[in-house]
Amino acid sequence: MAKWYDDSGFQSDIVLSTRVRLARNIKDIPFPRKMTDEAASAVVDMVEQSLSTMNMGFSRTDILSVSPLEREQLVEKRFISPNLARQKKPSAVFISGDESVSIMVNEEDHIRMQAIFAGFECQKAYEVISNVDSYMAKNLNYAVHQKYGYLTSCLTNVGTGIRISFMMHLPAICKAQVADSLFSAMGKLGVTVRGMYGEGSKASGYLFQISNQMTLGVNEKEITDRLNDVVNQLIAKERELRSALHKREGLSLEDKIMRSAGILKTSRLLSTKEMLTLFSNVRFGISLGLIDDIEPRVLNALMVETSPAHLAYGRDNPAERDAERARMVRTRIGG
Amino acid sequence: MLCTNCKSKEAVLHYKQIVNGKKSEQHLCAECANALGYTGNGESLFDIGSILNDFISMPSAHTVNKTVARCPICSTTYDEFKRTGLLGCDKCYDEFEAIVEASLAQIQPSTTHKGSLCGEAGEKIRKENELNELKENLKKAIIDERYEDAAVLRDRIKKMEEKENG
Ligand SMILES: [Zn+2]
Ligand SMILES: [Zn+2]
Repeated sequence: MAKWYDDSGFQSDIVLSTRVRLARNIKDIPFPRKMTDEAASAVVDMVEQSLSTMNMGFSRTDILSVSPLEREQLVEKRFISPNLARQKKPSAVFISGDESVSIMVNEEDHIRMQAIFAGFECQKAYEVISNVDSYMAKNLNYAVHQKYGYLTSCLTNVGTGIRISFMMHLPAICKAQVADSLFSAMGKLGVTVRGMYGEGSKASGYLFQISNQMTLGVNEKEITDRLNDVVNQLIAKERELRSALHKREGLSLEDKIMRSAGILKTSRLLSTKEMLTLFSNVRFGISLGLIDDIEPRVLNALMVETSPAHLAYGRDNPAERDAERARMVRTRIGG
Repeated sequence: MLCTNCKSKEAVLHYKQIVNGKKSEQHLCAECANALGYTGNGESLFDIGSILNDFISMPSAHTVNKTVARCPICSTTYDEFKRTGLLGCDKCYDEFEAIVEASLAQIQPSTTHKGSLCGEAGEKIRKENELNELKENLKKAIIDERYEDAAVLRDRIKKMEEKENG
């Protein structure tokens, strides 16, 4: 299995990645915000122990023993959350050999495990993470409640502890100005929409995170089905609006797309925001069949490799980073 | 639907609350939701703190003796839970049972877990739930004077309990 950020996957021109995460805690040990440093260290060791016989090649990174820059890079690869990067208590992340699974220890809950794949891969991601979950359950005593199921620090995660999220690219929906009403309808179905970089329909690069809100009183299958249904409708709507937009704008749209590819291949300074906008146009071009020499997985990889902490080595000012970003994009996309 | 706060942008967040026993709904655009602090850490859509505050302001809501409400295991206080919306340990769920139940009813479709439970703990709970259900059915059978059904249920309960203890 390939890394989420260096792969394309199913429906990859619209769904960039799928993540399924489960929140778990260990019985009789206070949650991370209330635990002692000794207990926190013990939990990290218990998790390591529980994974030791699993053949997924997990490697352990202790958060307190790596530099702030390395922590930021773990955040940019989405292996850990910004909250874990700031954790002052003993905490860790376990990353599988193929980088598809990461397990955060002592974030808001003792255990936050996630599987991430490129493309629209809900079923696969759920199967992988629930395998890890059952394996760990053999060795760890989870905190479960007769009525509420898996107990978590925050009531928004209790029950199944599951959060499924998709990173989606929705330029045509945004340009047709139906995004806000669509997102609002989704809110009523218990589906949350957030801009990945910025808010609302003006989110940079038209990238959104779509996830389930409810975790208790509905089972994993109902949650997955509901979300899959919503995402499929979004994909259909986006495709319909993309071809309508192409029909309406014709050459002027094609010109904009091809110029975007040209800028990526030749520019000498590139900010994150401009890059995301150009990537969005190029992804659109790939799905219309106008561009065939740029792969979506290369764009996904560049989004991670050119994010600020990955570029920060020896580069203190933004202009230097913009120059390096432009150089990396030219190298990977060619010209 | 327009944002109920600025009345100009499209609402994207929908928030139900109960104030003084009156149910009201808020529909907010992303900017207003952010400004009003409804988005929290980005993952949770609901601001538990304010939901709890709404409950506290309900005169006949839940009678919680605030001075003794402190979890004996992790020492999380009632006020702290109310403020942060976060519990400190698994025992907090018992300690703050009434308010936990009321909050869950606000933010989740139901307050009973329907999903999977893996491991030994899950197995135990499944068995307990099954046993409780059989006992409920037995009660009903007796009330309805379905004595043959009751006899079957009684035997199944006996068998399960023997397995548990043996
Ligand atoms: Zn507003
Ligand atoms: Zn507690």
